[in-house]
Amino acid sequence: MPQSNNIKSKFSLFSTSRGNSELALIVSLLVVITIFSFMSEYFLTVRNLTNVLGQASIIMALAMGVAIVLISGEVDISVGSVVAAVAIPLVEIMNATDSLMLGIAGALALGLMIGAINGYLSAYLRINSLIVTLGTLFIIRGFVYLYTGKRPIADTGYLENFFQLGSGRFLDILPNPALVAGIIVIFFIFIMRHTRFGRRIYAVGSNAEVASLAGYNVRRLRFYCFIICSLLASVGGILLSSRLGSAIHTAGMGYEFQAIAAVVLGGVSLAGGIGSLFGVMLGVLILAFVSNGLGMINLPTEWQLVITGLVIIAAVALDAFKKKSR
Amino acid sequence: MPATESIKQITNPIKKILTSEVGFLVLSLLALIIGISSFSEQFLSAPNAVAILHQSSLVLIVAIGMTVLLISGEVDISVGANLAFSSCVVMAVINQTDSIALGALAGIAFGTSVGFINAFVTTVLKVNSLIGTIAMMMMLKGGVFLFTREAIQNHHQLPLFPKIATGFVLGIPVPALIASIVAIIGWVIMTRTKAGRLFLATGANQKATRLSGYSPERVKFAAFLLTGALTGLAAVILASLINAGQPTAGGGFELIVIAAVLLGGTSLMGGRGTILGTIFGVLILKIVDNGIILLRLNQDYQIIFPGIVLILALYMDQKRRGTTND
Amino acid sequence: MTELNIADPTNTSVPVLSVSGLTKKFPGVLALDDVSIEVRSGEVLAIIGENGAGKSTLIKMLAGVYKPDGGTIAINGEVQNYASPADALKAGTKVVFQEIALIPEFTVAENIFLESHLITRIGTIDWPEIRRRARDIFERAGFALDPDAKVGDLSISQQQLVEISRALAHDAKLVIMDEPTSSLTPLEVRHLFEVIERLKSLGIAIIYVSHKLEEIFEISDRCTILRDGKWISTQPTSSHTNDSLIKDMVGRSIDDLFPRSERKFGDTVVQVDGLYTHNRLDNISFNVRAGEVLGFFGLMGAGRTELAKAIVGYDPISAGSIKINGNLLSPHSTIKSKSLGLGLLSEDRKEEGLMMDANVTRNMTLSALQKFTRGGFVNAAAETKTAQSFVDRFRIKLAKLGQPIRTLSGGNQQKVLLSRWLMYGLEVIVLDEPTRGIDVGAKTEIFALIDELASQGLAVILMTSEMPELLGLSDRICVLAEGKITATFETSNVTQEEILDAAIQ
Repeated sequence: MPQSNNIKSKFSLFSTSRGNSELALIVSLLVVITIFSFMSEYFLTVRNLTNVLGQASIIMALAMGVAIVLISGEVDISVGSVVAAVAIPLVEIMNATDSLMLGIAGALALGLMIGAINGYLSAYLRINSLIVTLGTLFIIRGFVYLYTGKRPIADTGYLENFFQLGSGRFLDILPNPALVAGIIVIFFIFIMRHTRFGRRIYAVGSNAEVASLAGYNVRRLRFYCFIICSLLASVGGILLSSRLGSAIHTAGMGYEFQAIAAVVLGGVSLAGGIGSLFGVMLGVLILAFVSNGLGMINLPTEWQLVITGLVIIAAVALDAFKKKSR
Repeated sequence: MPATESIKQITNPIKKILTSEVGFLVLSLLALIIGISSFSEQFLSAPNAVAILHQSSLVLIVAIGMTVLLISGEVDISVGANLAFSSCVVMAVINQTDSIALGALAGIAFGTSVGFINAFVTTVLKVNSLIGTIAMMMMLKGGVFLFTREAIQNHHQLPLFPKIATGFVLGIPVPALIASIVAIIGWVIMTRTKAGRLFLATGANQKATRLSGYSPERVKFAAFLLTGALTGLAAVILASLINAGQPTAGGGFELIVIAAVLLGGTSLMGGRGTILGTIFGVLILKIVDNGIILLRLNQDYQIIFPGIVLILALYMDQKRRGTTND
Repeated sequence: MTELNIADPTNTSVPVLSVSGLTKKFPGVLALDDVSIEVRSGEVLAIIGENGAGKSTLIKMLAGVYKPDGGTIAINGEVQNYASPADALKAGTKVVFQEIALIPEFTVAENIFLESHLITRIGTIDWPEIRRRARDIFERAGFALDPDAKVGDLSISQQQLVEISRALAHDAKLVIMDEPTSSLTPLEVRHLFEVIERLKSLGIAIIYVSHKLEEIFEISDRCTILRDGKWISTQPTSSHTNDSLIKDMVGRSIDDLFPRSERKFGDTVVQVDGLYTHNRLDNISFNVRAGEVLGFFGLMGAGRTELAKAIVGYDPISAGSIKINGNLLSPHSTIKSKSLGLGLLSEDRKEEGLMMDANVTRNMTLSALQKFTRGGFVNAAAETKTAQSFVDRFRIKLAKLGQPIRTLSGGNQQKVLLSRWLMYGLEVIVLDEPTRGIDVGAKTEIFALIDELASQGLAVILMTSEMPELLGLSDRICVLAEGKITATFETSNVTQEEILDAAIQ
């Protein structure tokens, strides 16, 4: 028996604990794709599939961050506001300096600051993170309104590379945002699976006391998770801003809920310690394909919300049912 | 030890007020009133008081339900979307039937049935209520646009309908009167009845409640129904105030409601909280809102402030208790 | 202090652990007061004492969880200053806590290297090496563990082996075991003792904390007794007798802990027939008469708690029937069982009994609320009056009824929970480990109370793993093993050996 287990874990792409639910997610994704392929001839084209990857990329970046925070046993729902906030320094700095790199640096710096505030309040002052980030969700959005006066800040420099970042395609096939999201996904799957840092986040989320006994600095680890989450949300904000060509005060509204939905659908436990980023990626893709497919068959876009809601309830209920019968 | 503690409390009345939940809220409220009125003469005028009461009423009505729900250990994120949808239902039914009573009934019935579904998803399907009601929120937001693309106007121009919510009884604005009645009933239920005891018991220790021969599921079901019904009631008042059904209404409403309830000292974990605290929580938030307008501050502070208050309230609550959620 | 040397005069080497004058204060209590011990390589030192004697405080300081307020801890003669448990492990001390400190989602191998995952040159985790080293450790110690198994799927005793492997992985010189056998089957206890022997032969010093005297006689070389935070004695275990140990522990001998009154049995009240649950219980049938205490004895995992929860309708059953005074418990719910006059006092006060932040009255009246309710409204005055009468009757020690229940001692909390059901008025009460975590004085009171209830005609079903409690209270005894009733005895003509024999199968 040890031998067979050994082989399984060696060749498994996934975290060993959740192999089954990931298989179920892959099957669900294939089922979704198959169904829509029959319903619309345009669905299963390279153009459309790569489009979906592009559309999913922003939520993908957010979901990775939210997942890491959830795995550490906390929660961050301020990401939607971060998306809107970071676009302001991005566009303002670009307009002033004509440098995309400086703009991105400014955006990431703001994201880092927000993450540090969320992390300090939640991890060090131990205020319930749901409330902290609910609060910062309001506060950040409020400051965005204040700064912008509820009017878009346009990119007046028309930087070509800024436009390309959001709307260009890598090798003329893959939308650049999808490439960025893909790199993020692979990088963090690796971090969570194959580095001490990643493993410690799982341990902290599973049982903070045990982790602390093992000598981990639980507070610092969770603090870092909030920073990672905010930085990833900033990446999402940069990509969105590039697609929109401006900083828009309402950008990213409700994204936090979409991200959490995808993360939970992907098998991450709200209680912490359980779940894999590979599953989260599948969760994001399932929701993205459902949404795209519904658009393809000309259902009003609002159906996407309705069906997404149903999918989430069904997935979580099924999971609860499985746990109960076990 | 308890004896010495009580002596300490008697010898230090200021500390006693600060450490008692409601005392602290009353002091904050008084400080706000004194502070704002010293900057603005309008603040203490009758028309302004009416304005504050109007604004507080909608939030308070739903917050009473949310208080009971949080005390029972669950949460409902869908109240904002429910409010919008229910208000459209109210107006649509009035337009259909020419009957205000039927419209109001339909609105309350709709709100209640949303509560029913939330209850079912949580207690029967065992879906975490945070996730379940986020999904419900998505479905309602999608659903209301499938129901109506734009605001439903009062087609028959029934003049009576808008007069209801803007009217006065005994010099009190009608919405405030309704909210007061709801609050009093809520207070009586929570402090004087067996049902109130069971809400508290279920949130404090669900297993003990079951072992004591009650059904925690039924108790939670009732709390969800109550929250849904009160959201429906608030929707009737909203429709009457704006003389229309507005599908985009209620954006961020759930967050204001939850912020007010938590500010009032109700625990996120269930088992602890008071209606009185919630009343003060709503008043504080709404008076600050009002102050922001009177002091001619940018209205965007209206969403920044609740965020700060929320985090601060929880932090101070933690400090006063000397406990953290570690 | 001199006894330390007398205990082992031949051993002149530096002790692995030497603790001197260790003191720890908590607000209002001196939890540990000037305690000194030594443990040598290859030796098992038992530490015993009642609840509150200071055992866990001592262990937590040795583990680096608490900082001492006075005294020193030295490992191999070097004085240690632990900032965290990780420091203690680095210095060579590994504590196997009662609550296993492992991550259930991780594999066995990963848990062994939890403190610091082995990494490759580029800084990624070296999974093959972790697996290989884990296997090496298992080979050296003779453990039959699969490095790739998920820890959450292992039994408690296997998880203990993982903890011990962690000690070996860090070259620990001192292994501290805190109540290691409390959740083990007898067979697993035997295995554990073999493991301890092997650790001894590897030259590891062991501190063994337990309240099970027979184990202490079997496994330990010397024995330290703590009482009320103070060091009482350290002597070779062989110089002790059962009585002398108990005498040192409590400071008095326990002769008649359980006064028992004459009982008159009435009609049969409880009839349980062919009860099965899908995971544990297997064809359970028994009757209880009014005024009778039926004791269920079983070791950990025998199914006592499962049976208790199934009888009262809390957990589902897959077959069988439960009748109270001839009325079938159907539907199978706590609501129905309460209406039939059947209730459970759970073994887990905190998780399944108390509303921690609520006051004493609210906790006490939860079950009997309907008695004070007219038209949905609770009559608070009547409620308080009744609660006060129970406080007086059971001599519950409190400042006022309005104080939060968490400020009460374990014994008084238990009396409140017992009052919760008595106020409601039961025909049958199921008591699951009613004296768990309660100090000796309060224990006696609870026993007297149970005895009084039975003599007043209540049918009592008592689940216990403690022999004195079983023999002292029950009229008849059913022994549970692996979900089955393996024997039924009259208490008047049974020996402890017969009961234990039926429990170990």
